[in-house]
Amino acid sequence: MKAAILTDVTKCIGCLECVAACKKTNKLDRDFPRSWHKNDGLSARNWTSIVEKPEQHYIRKQCRHCLEPACVSVCPVAALYKTKEGPVVYDPDKCMGCRYCMVACPYGIPRYDWDKPAAYVQKCHMCIDLIKQGKQPACIEACPTQATIFGDRDQLMAEAHRRIKDEPEKYINKVYGEFEVGGTSVLYVSDIDLEFLSYPLKPGTEPLPDTMKPAMEAVPPVFVGMGALMGGVYWICRRREKLQGEKEGNKE
Amino acid sequence: MDRARIFKSILWAITGLGSAALATRFLIGLGAIANMNDAVPWGLWKGFNIFPGIALAGGGFVMTAIIYIMAREEYHKYAKISVLLAFLGYLTAATALVTELGLPWLVWHPIIFWQHHSPLFEVSWCVMLYLTVLFLEFIPVPLEETSRFAKIRIFLTKYKIVLVFLGIMISTLHQSSLGSMWLITPEKLHPLWYTSLLPILFFLSAVAIGPIMLILAILVITRIYRRRTDSQTLSKLGLLSVFGVLVYGLVRLIDIGVKGKFAMIFDGSWQSTFFLVEISLMVVIPLVLMGVRRLRNSSGSLWVASLSAVIGLGFDRANIAGIMLSVDGPMYTPTLFEVLVSLAIISAAILAFLFGIERFKIWDTKWEDPREKPESHPDFDRSAEVWLGTPRLAGRSVYSLIFVVSLAVGFAIIPGKRIYSDGVQEVVSQKAYGGDTLCIDGNRDNYGVTFDHKAHVVRNSNDSSCVLCHHMNQPNDKQSGCYSCHRDMYQTTDAFRHDWHADPANANIGCMECHAIDQERLATTAKACDQCHKDLIPPGATITIEKYMAPSYTDAMHFLCIDCHRQKAEELTDKPDLALCTTCHRWKHPNHLQDEVAEKYNHPYFNHVVLPQKGSKEKGH
Repeated sequence: MKAAILTDVTKCIGCLECVAACKKTNKLDRDFPRSWHKNDGLSARNWTSIVEKPEQHYIRKQCRHCLEPACVSVCPVAALYKTKEGPVVYDPDKCMGCRYCMVACPYGIPRYDWDKPAAYVQKCHMCIDLIKQGKQPACIEACPTQATIFGDRDQLMAEAHRRIKDEPEKYINKVYGEFEVGGTSVLYVSDIDLEFLSYPLKPGTEPLPDTMKPAMEAVPPVFVGMGALMGGVYWICRRREKLQGEKEGNKE
Repeated sequence: MDRARIFKSILWAITGLGSAALATRFLIGLGAIANMNDAVPWGLWKGFNIFPGIALAGGGFVMTAIIYIMAREEYHKYAKISVLLAFLGYLTAATALVTELGLPWLVWHPIIFWQHHSPLFEVSWCVMLYLTVLFLEFIPVPLEETSRFAKIRIFLTKYKIVLVFLGIMISTLHQSSLGSMWLITPEKLHPLWYTSLLPILFFLSAVAIGPIMLILAILVITRIYRRRTDSQTLSKLGLLSVFGVLVYGLVRLIDIGVKGKFAMIFDGSWQSTFFLVEISLMVVIPLVLMGVRRLRNSSGSLWVASLSAVIGLGFDRANIAGIMLSVDGPMYTPTLFEVLVSLAIISAAILAFLFGIERFKIWDTKWEDPREKPESHPDFDRSAEVWLGTPRLAGRSVYSLIFVVSLAVGFAIIPGKRIYSDGVQEVVSQKAYGGDTLCIDGNRDNYGVTFDHKAHVVRNSNDSSCVLCHHMNQPNDKQSGCYSCHRDMYQTTDAFRHDWHADPANANIGCMECHAIDQERLATTAKACDQCHKDLIPPGATITIEKYMAPSYTDAMHFLCIDCHRQKAEELTDKPDLALCTTCHRWKHPNHLQDEVAEKYNHPYFNHVVLPQKGSKEKGH
């Protein structure tokens, strides 16, 4: 099974029960508004939030758990990794706090403990422990309107398409997260445009780790090639010096 | 005072100021001195110290390649100084990295936790290895001062060429991988800078401008120590580097042309202006001043050209590593303390550089085998006209004094609000009487619920109605905000302070004052608050004390409104149905409320919620 979450923006009433459940389940400390917070409600102590948009639209924001996550591909110590269940999980024991994941994430999800001397990255882990026990993530459990549901990614995708097909005038004909950056595990169907969840220059459908692949695969050949090139130059220069020395020697 | 001493005093002062900020960062956290935030996780230290620092230190591997591999004897006298410069350049970058890591003591983690897809993994390995290589390349110089470790020195000198090869190969990798790091951000980096050629561009610019950094360093120190500049060799080196600059400029512009982004350069946006400034500083000015023969030979144009190239390279890296990344959140401007830390790291490196120059035999014309002519190294430079440097210990007391004083000043100017909080922790409501329309914004995310306070007061028999809704249960309670008990949006809070009660009740012996001796000591079985505090609840108030947990802010506000409306709805029919979230939670931002509400906003009492003065300490609860 590939764990996934489908959020139906038209069903969300913005009651914030998911946020409360998340804080309770993950034992997140209380949170004060701080200058380093973004304006989307997420923070080191809020792993999910509701973004309000005009005309009573509430969009739940959380980690998208990409199928090919940029954060995982850039983490120099493999502190972030994709589990076989689907969620992208963080191992605080490996992290050294470089925050490259925050730079790389196309949705700007990972947050940081800016006010602590020992600071860690914080983000949604889709309640991986509960999933392993065969339960649902806390936020899903808490939702009173089933605006956000949990299940297998393929089944949820079929469900999303079914909803769009049944009520084509209600929804935008797009499942957000189906193809973006290679697909995400957190899907949205919506009646408003959700492009604001990602950065202004839209990510394509190409998985982000692929952008680095050619450069990273070139590393060993470049290393050897540079050595060989320099060896060649060294040999030529030494030889020229030697020949020149012999020439001068002959002259004398 | 001589120039060198003034210069060094300034550097010591900056180092002292920055060290205070640095210490604060390690003791309290990044947020205490830096403006980096969730939207801009990498700040000045990455864009000003690390990326430009490593690029400019690239002079080390380029110069060793020119001297030892291409066997260009005329540059041999710059061999040691370029290695020292590179070593210190990498050290500044490493120091800045340790400063800005969240868990700096785990900086060695990439050694044991491998992740070969990550450019940063590769960079950290390479930087660690190259620092070692540079250290081994440089260590024979200080070892010449002592007769011990002669074997090590001779060994390292003998096999120097191996180190040179290793250095070049490692540098090629990480200089380019620093560019690869930004390939992951196609959706953030401005298209004028984002290209799949970033690794190649990073490598080329480091190769081209690394030696120019060396030229600048030599110009600076010859000026400080009032020495004659060997401008002929320098301009020759300049000409060599300008070829690199030309290649870099061509690759970059052709790449932009091929990708069809040429029009963006002249579209008049601020990004295009930055691009033009960057290209002129980095490519055009050095190309003209160092490329044209007549200009090249004057030391003035060497100064301008090398300064411009170095600043241009720094600007390029700063653009990629920060300025040109789109920000979805609070804007980032570095704080004074970030700037001070940045400058302090660089100042300390310059001090170390000057120390190296004064102390060791950096300036011999050839890296000779020390066994042959142990006494042949000139002290500084035989061509010097003026005796160089100050006596080794003469400046020590002056510098120490300057450092200590500036360290103290540095601590003094760090404001408390940065250390404790610059966010809002508690709301102290003032002038709560008579506020007409309140904006209840519990989590202060600027999405508030408007509440017609005046109408409620009038409806509930004016002044005597306060206690219907408000707690008045603390001594002189006129000002405590809801937040002083209901501290979190969602979590219930323990309103009972054990430590406050333990002392009056005779500390630990006094447990039995509240807890019965034969019962488990639980909040539910203890004596109720109002058994001692007789006047806790004012007459007429709707609240009851049932447990010691204050409800969360959300629950408190909701129950207060919803319960009352439910009761009233039985008597009156026109009450709005508060069971619907959207009755109160409108989407409008309070600053842009509809016109009829906006009128009420202008009432002098409207803004009754006064945020505490910035800098007020977070009170422990």
